[in-house]
Amino acid sequence: MNRYQFEDLISEYIENELPLSKRKEFELYLNENPEAVSVIESVKLNLKKIGSLPKVKASSDFNEKLFRRIKSNSSDLLNTESSKHSIFGFTPIHASMLTGLVIAFVFISIQLFYPQSISRVSGNDNFVAKETSDLTDPSLQVPKELNPDIVEAQKDSTNSPLKAKQKKDFSKKIHLVND
Amino acid sequence: MKQNSSNLLGFSLDKSQSTFIYTDEQLIARFQSGDEQAFTELVKRYRDRLTNFVYQFLGDLEQAEDVVQDTMFKLYEKKHYYREIAKFSTWIYTIARNLANTELRKRKRRKTTLLSQMTRDERDYEIPAIQSDVGQAIQSEYVEKRIQAAIKELPEHFKTVIILRDIQELSYDDISNIVGVPLGTVKSRINRARLQLQADLNDLR
Repeated sequence: MNRYQFEDLISEYIENELPLSKRKEFELYLNENPEAVSVIESVKLNLKKIGSLPKVKASSDFNEKLFRRIKSNSSDLLNTESSKHSIFGFTPIHASMLTGLVIAFVFISIQLFYPQSISRVSGNDNFVAKETSDLTDPSLQVPKELNPDIVEAQKDSTNSPLKAKQKKDFSKKIHLVND
Repeated sequence: MKQNSSNLLGFSLDKSQSTFIYTDEQLIARFQSGDEQAFTELVKRYRDRLTNFVYQFLGDLEQAEDVVQDTMFKLYEKKHYYREIAKFSTWIYTIARNLANTELRKRKRRKTTLLSQMTRDERDYEIPAIQSDVGQAIQSEYVEKRIQAAIKELPEHFKTVIILRDIQELSYDDISNIVGVPLGTVKSRINRARLQLQADLNDLR
């Protein structure tokens, strides 16, 4: 065993984890090298000192602080959840009510302050209605005989009642086996 | 052989059934299904051990406690992330270690590392030689400071394993899981760290 092999096995020797053959070899090296014994003693002493270092503990109000933090965090989470379902801080119902009110207010304001513009709009409606009624006035309509489109349509006999009668009604004649 | 005895500790959620024992894994399972009292018991079991563990990295009790608070808070918030493929102690130590490392990185960025502070402390202690008539209490305080300073001077990968093994007394398997390196590497690192401490503290004998 050389110096490097000895150093690699120190912890296993101290913790009694070396197999018997290796342990014998290790102890033989110790017998031959007094400075190696001194290293082993020194490592053991350090381990003892490290093990006896005072253990620090958490403060007495550790749990109190922790649970306060957990509580405040969960209430923050609740607030975040409720803010997710709002529109600019309003619930959907309140937001729609407010929108309705704003629209109504704008409409009423226009009626109060600009009545001419409203009547002009309604005047235009009358004009359109008048134009439409003019088209239905019989005195202004062209006689059917003089209208080439109407004459042409009447010549087309595709939709005449006679043809329609000639069409066969298969729905009454076709019967499926299981009907 | 050193072992983590936490799993053998008894705990009863109902005082009338004082004989029933819950392991850490059973407690986290209960907590995952909504039992807040199980969480309280886990906090009780681990708050001191984790504070001591993190303190060895940071050297500041107040900050160590803040990190453990963060660890417990993470446990509360992310309880469903735990799967019973690993021991609970491994999981919670890993969280604490990662948070402690984050805190150390923040410190390095602020250029107020503990290392430089400890070097100053150590220098202060090195000036007076120990007299034979120095009181026992003063001498043991000096020894403590020297050991803690020597541990802090260790490279990061040595420091973690030595704290977990020789201060927290965890098994090699647990350390391997926490650090995320093979068992052989853990053993080798612990051995090297002990040798380095032996060299650093040789004058204490």
